[in-house]
Order: sequence, then structure tokens, then C-alpha cells
Amino acid sequence: MTHYGICYSKEGPARFISHLDMVRTFERAIRRAGLPVAFSQGFNPHPKFSFGCPLPVGIPGREEYMEIELVSELSPAEIEEKLNLALPGGIAVLRSFRMVDNAPAIMALIDSARYKVQIDFQPEIDFGRIASCISHFLSLPGVSVVRKSKDGKEKYCDIRKGIFRLELESLQENSAVLEMVIKTGSTGNIRPDEVVSAFTGHCGLPVAEYGVYISREALYGPGGSSLESVLQKKEE
Amino acid sequence: MQRTLEKILPHVQKPARYTGGEWNAVVKEWHDIDVKIAFAFPDVYEVGMSHLGLQILYHVVNTRGDALMERVFAPWVDMEKVLRKGGIPLFSLESRRPLGDFDIIAFTLQYEMTFTNLLNMLDLAGLPLRSSRRNRNHPLVIAGGPCAFNPEPLADFADAFIIGEGEEIIGEIIDLYKVSKGKSRLDLLKAMAGIRGVYVPSLYHIQYFSDGSVSSLAVEPGAPEKVVKRVVSDFDGAPFPQKPVVPYMGVVHDRIMLEVLRGCTRGCRFCQAGVIYRPVREKTPETLVRQAEDMVGSTGHDEISLTSLSTADYTRIKPLVTELLNRLEHKGVGISLPSLRVDAFSVDLAKEVQRVRRSSLTFAPEAGTQRMRDVINKGVTEENLLDAVSASFQAGWHAVKLYFMIGLPGERDEDLDGIAHLAVKVLQAGLKCNVSKGRLKVTVSASSYVPKAHTAFQWEPQDSLGELKRKQSYLKEKLKKERKISFNWHDPETSFIEAVLARGDRRLVPVVERAWKLGARFDGWSELFNYDLWHQAFRENGMDPAEYAYRRFSYEDVLPWDHIETGVDKKYLIREHKKAMQGTATPDCRAGRCPGCGLCPALEIKPELPGGDHNFDPLRNLL
Repeated sequence: MTHYGICYSKEGPARFISHLDMVRTFERAIRRAGLPVAFSQGFNPHPKFSFGCPLPVGIPGREEYMEIELVSELSPAEIEEKLNLALPGGIAVLRSFRMVDNAPAIMALIDSARYKVQIDFQPEIDFGRIASCISHFLSLPGVSVVRKSKDGKEKYCDIRKGIFRLELESLQENSAVLEMVIKTGSTGNIRPDEVVSAFTGHCGLPVAEYGVYISREALYGPGGSSLESVLQKKEE
Repeated sequence: MQRTLEKILPHVQKPARYTGGEWNAVVKEWHDIDVKIAFAFPDVYEVGMSHLGLQILYHVVNTRGDALMERVFAPWVDMEKVLRKGGIPLFSLESRRPLGDFDIIAFTLQYEMTFTNLLNMLDLAGLPLRSSRRNRNHPLVIAGGPCAFNPEPLADFADAFIIGEGEEIIGEIIDLYKVSKGKSRLDLLKAMAGIRGVYVPSLYHIQYFSDGSVSSLAVEPGAPEKVVKRVVSDFDGAPFPQKPVVPYMGVVHDRIMLEVLRGCTRGCRFCQAGVIYRPVREKTPETLVRQAEDMVGSTGHDEISLTSLSTADYTRIKPLVTELLNRLEHKGVGISLPSLRVDAFSVDLAKEVQRVRRSSLTFAPEAGTQRMRDVINKGVTEENLLDAVSASFQAGWHAVKLYFMIGLPGERDEDLDGIAHLAVKVLQAGLKCNVSKGRLKVTVSASSYVPKAHTAFQWEPQDSLGELKRKQSYLKEKLKKERKISFNWHDPETSFIEAVLARGDRRLVPVVERAWKLGARFDGWSELFNYDLWHQAFRENGMDPAEYAYRRFSYEDVLPWDHIETGVDKKYLIREHKKAMQGTATPDCRAGRCPGCGLCPALEIKPELPGGDHNFDPLRNLL
């Protein structure tokens, strides 16, 4: 059995594929590609692969991670080539690598994510206002958002501690691009749209209808470390 | 439009319904193509993508160099709102072009309760609803599928209806369209009426008596008196999608659909499919194995459904299943059967194929007593059913579903008692087979019977709404005592409107339009069906839906759909109706004796049973 890490992008029409459907999409792509994937034991065997961190539906991911277990050795380049020929439009394998022995699950390793957020304003606003909104927002001791639990009850959560960075990257006409790094993963997850609506709502910014586009640019391990530096086996 | 869509899509439910870009979707260079067709499915993506006909026609058209076919589905209500608000015309998934840019919009009519969606899609495309208001600058609007066999309630909306199987006729329409580009819409329609299987309703002038039968039918020169359905000439060699589109999102039938045979001659008297898909034609096992392997490779699906109206009837089903399993099981590909015939053989088959997934098994005895089953010619006995469920319980299934209809012609309360009685017997069979008490479950589903055109019961009225409701609660009461039996039923109001449309005529055109205008959409979806809207639409047009649903025609009447010809002789249907009233059965023609439905001589065809040698008698051997 060999474990491989795969870095891929999910963009275009594929950004609307839900997490559950991503599982199905990869199952089919793996079968079309003819990869010698390992199967779980049991009554209903399923191919062994898992995703690092589900993307919210509609948000593209530039560098997402998954791991896959094969029953025979293949070169990472071969995996990349075979999968790319079998994946539907919008999903592309960027690179693949052998994983170190006893590597932690990618899912458990992921700690934060960097997002790019484009916000269209109506009417236009100036640079100074956004900049001061950001510093004001970040100076808040707590940022409370409402979440619905599975039984439909509403619950307040403080997400301030999970916002590691929020910066204005550019402002052109009525459109601002922000960059943010927020807590992500199995140990406390913050949704990017939660942060955006808390920010724009708190500062009373005039967001245009359908005026927010979010993309996930990168995933990080603890302390902002690169996932691949932890997971990738050094090729001899 | 692209940019606006990108903005909007994240804000609607299940955006993958509208994105396109799926595996095996075909996007052609628009400007290089002579004839551009949009296949329009008047229901949501998940339903439409489960439809084999779409995949077949998509393959047939896109194989041609001079034509393309793209897909469009009915947008769900949230998407409709967004489209209307943003002034965005309904668009195709492949090239995201407005429907108005296409040469032909081809609807499929699988169910009467999608009729308002057809109107809504034309409107969302910015097209005039009525054929008479469209000209050669608009797309040609055609519609096929089972409901095209009584297309009259939609007569003024579509330019032409396609009667019967589409694989060959679609090519003839494309060829004609290519040479008719400069012609007026009327000239094009007149030329189309010359294609066998095309019904151009505007060339037929129909009047009705007050009882609903046809008083006069005037046909314009050049159009046939009777439009005869199309049947593909060589079913085994018929084009089949080697590369079906694989949806991103979960759809209703998320698997490879391998059509093993077409048609069914068991002759259930309520069944319209049994008439319109005649004759029975099987593919050869070699063809099927080849198609299955091709599709596994091209889709990556892990399941193949052997589809047909009655798959266990395939002459060499066992060898076929064995061969498919031998070739595909090691690839992790399973086989499923869409429905089971009510006998132990079918359960054996299910046991053999469904080695991986375990769920409940479904059987359709349709009626509760032998008397009633003889009336509808459902050749199933109580013994067959008990054998079948016992075999299922012994094979390890612990839940079975039983399908029945209520409101069948001549039904009495004792027939309802029979349903309850059968359900209890099935439950007892489960206990006898030592199914654990905690897991044993019998689900009884009762749908309200809807009389359909071209069947032996086409003359019969539907049970009144009040009577259907009474029967439902009667049955519910009967089954209440048994905690392991759960009872499902369908909304009888939906079946009532379905009955009105199924045996409707052209006078319903303004009613359908008004219902749509009032907001009727997705009428087949119980959460969206609004009976009051339909009621109001009838009232405003001074019409009574009950007259349609409860009408009893006489054998002498010219019926509103009599000019559409299935190939099955009306005299045969009358004979079948009479036999039904006497409770006499008619055997399947596969058993060797021709009951004289008239189809083979009328269409100059024969059943094709290459799946087995011709001396093989499937029915006698299997039962």
C-alpha cells in the first residue's frame, strides 16, 4: 500500500460540486483513470481516498489537498497524468507526491486557510474608509456570529480568535480585494462567508447585490506551515 | 450573461443543476453547425438526467457533424425568480446560450403534470407560448415522449409532436430543417407533416360534442388522417450512448442505464407503456455486454441498471447477468434491476446480482384480489406474490414494498380488503421466514388509478375525488392495526388533474395556459402542486374538470386522440375492455399465441427476440 498526497484545484463549474458529490466525482474519475486504488474492507467496500477540508459550495479552491491509497506503486507523475485525463472540467491535479510513513491525516493537519475576497460596493467607497473599517473590526475584543445547530437551534459563537489576518489588497473603482487567513479544519472551523458578512455588517459597508466572491487560495498546517513540507516523502 | 450567471449561481439551491461542464458533455463550435437543437426536459435536472431518452437522442444528434444538441431543464422556483428578476433568458447548459438562439427546441413529455413547466420554459426563453404567434425567426418547438400520444391539451403550444421512438425521426427532421431554412414556418410545418410520425396540430381542425367525443375532424391537404407512431427498424443495431453524460451531482438514477429490451406485451389493461412501446424487441447478449463494457470505461459508474419495462422477461436474462458479472464484478461494478416481476425467479435473479447493496425489494401486484387482477390482466396470483416475498425474506431482505392502485374500474371494497389481507400475509411470510421482528417491514403504496389514452380502459371514468379519498382512509384504517405495515398514498387531487389532462382535448389549452399564468409549476411535486390554481383556471374558462375525469366514452365515440395511432387496433382494445369486464385474462403474445392486437400487420414489424432461440418459451419456462 502506498499513500499519495494530491494537490488539486477546483474551479469553474466544478466549484458548485458539493462535498458529497466530490466524493462521487473522484470515485468515478479514479475508475476511469484505471488507478489501482485500495478498497476498504467490509460489506460495502469503497475506494480509499479522503479530502483535506471540504470547500463550501460555490467557492473555488486553488490548491486543495487529498490523499489516496494505491495497492501498487505508481510514479507521482503518472498519477497526475492519468487523473487529469479522467477529471471533469474545473478539477485539475496540480501535483502529487508520496507521503511520509505514518503521515498524519491531511484532515487533521489542516489548521488555517487563506482566502481572497472580492467585494463590490454600491455606491463606491474610498480606500480610507475600508482601511479604517478593517482596523476597527480587528480591534474588536469579540466577533459574534449566529450559527444554526443540527437541531435548528440558534447559537452565538465568537469567531474573533480564529481571524488571523485580514488585509486590503487592492481597491479599484467599486471593487475591493481583501485577503484573509482564518481558522480552518477539524479543530474549530470558521466559514469565510461568516467572516465577510460579520465584517461588512459590523462596519455598515454598502455591499452590492451578489457582490461578494470568495476563493480559497491556500491551506496551511499549524503555525502557517506548508502541508507538503510535513507530508511529502523526500524522493531518493 | 456569463458574468451575471457566475454572480447569481452561488445564491441558488443546488447550482450544479445549471452549470453544465459534466464529464462527456458535448460542446461543439456553435458557428460551424447547421442545425442546433435544445433538448428541453420540463422537470429539474436530477429527474431529467435520469432519463435514458435524453442520453440516447443527445448521442444520436451529437454524432452528426452538421447538428448539435444541448440540454436545458426546468429551473427550480428559486432559479426562476432570479432569472426573471435579472432579465436572464433561459439558457442551455453546454454553451450557455439563450434558448431563442436554437433552431429547434425539443421537449419530452414524460408526465402530464409537467405541462405547465413546458409553458414556463418557453416563457422564460422569451418566446411566444402559442405556435401561431411564432414565425420562422423563432425556434421550432417540437415535443415527443409518452404524453405526445395524447398531445391535445398542448396542441396550440407546440409546432409539432413526434409520435413514437425518436432515434430515427430526429435525423429526418434535421435533414428537412436544413433544406427548409428560407421557408416560412407554415411551409416548414406542412413539409414536416409529410414525415411519418410527425403530428402538426395546426393542420387538424377538431370539434367536439358536449360529451367530449369528436364531432368533426378536418385535416388539411398533405397531412395524414392518422399519425402513426414510429418504431426503430433494428433495435439491436439502434444507436446507443456509449458515452453518456455523467452528472456532478447526485441524480435520481445515478448509474449506467443499459436498455436490454423495449416494449412489453404482458398486456396489463391499465398500462399505456405496454401499448405505446410495442412490439417487444430484445437486444442480443453480445450487444449488451459490449455496450456495458464501453459505458463502464467511459463513465466510471459503479452500477449498471438493466432497464426495460420488465427486465426479468429478457429471454436469456440469467446468462446475460452471469456474463456481465464475470466481466465487471472485479472492477467493483454492480448490477441492479429497476423493478421485479412478482415471482420467485425474479427474486433469485435479484439475489444473484445484488451481491453488494442491500435494500428493500419492491413488487407490484397492483390489485388486492384475484378478481381485480384478472380485470386488469395482471397475471399474478397470491401464490406468486407469497413465493416471491418468501424468497426475498429467505435471501436476507427484511423489508418489502408493495405497489397497488386504487380506483381501478369495477373496484369494490372487498378488493381493498384484499390489499390489506395480502399485506398481512406478506408480513406473516416474513415472520415464518424468521426475519427479526425489529427489522421486518412491509410498505404498502397505493396510488390512485388514472385512465390513460390508448389503453383498454380509455373509455372508463376515474373514480371521483371523494371516492378515492374514502378508499384511502378505508385502507388506512384497515392497515392501522399492523405496526409493521406502513401505508403510503398519493395526493388524489394530483391524480385528478392528471386524469383530466391524460384524456383531455384541445379545449384544455386555455386552461393549461391560465393555470400556468396563475403560478402552476412543477405540478408533479406535492410540495408545489396547488389544486386551487387549477380549479380557478377551469372556473375562469367556464369549464368543469370533473367532466373530463369522470367522462365515460362509448365504443362508437371518436376519441380526442383517435387520430394518433399506436398501431394497436381499437377493436382489440374494445375486446380487451369487454374481457376486463368479464374478468377474463389475455395471455402474452410471447407465449406463442397472438391475441391479435393488430400491431405487427399495421406497422409491418415483428417482435424481435434475438436474446434466445425462437423455440424457447420464456413464460412457460420461467413461471
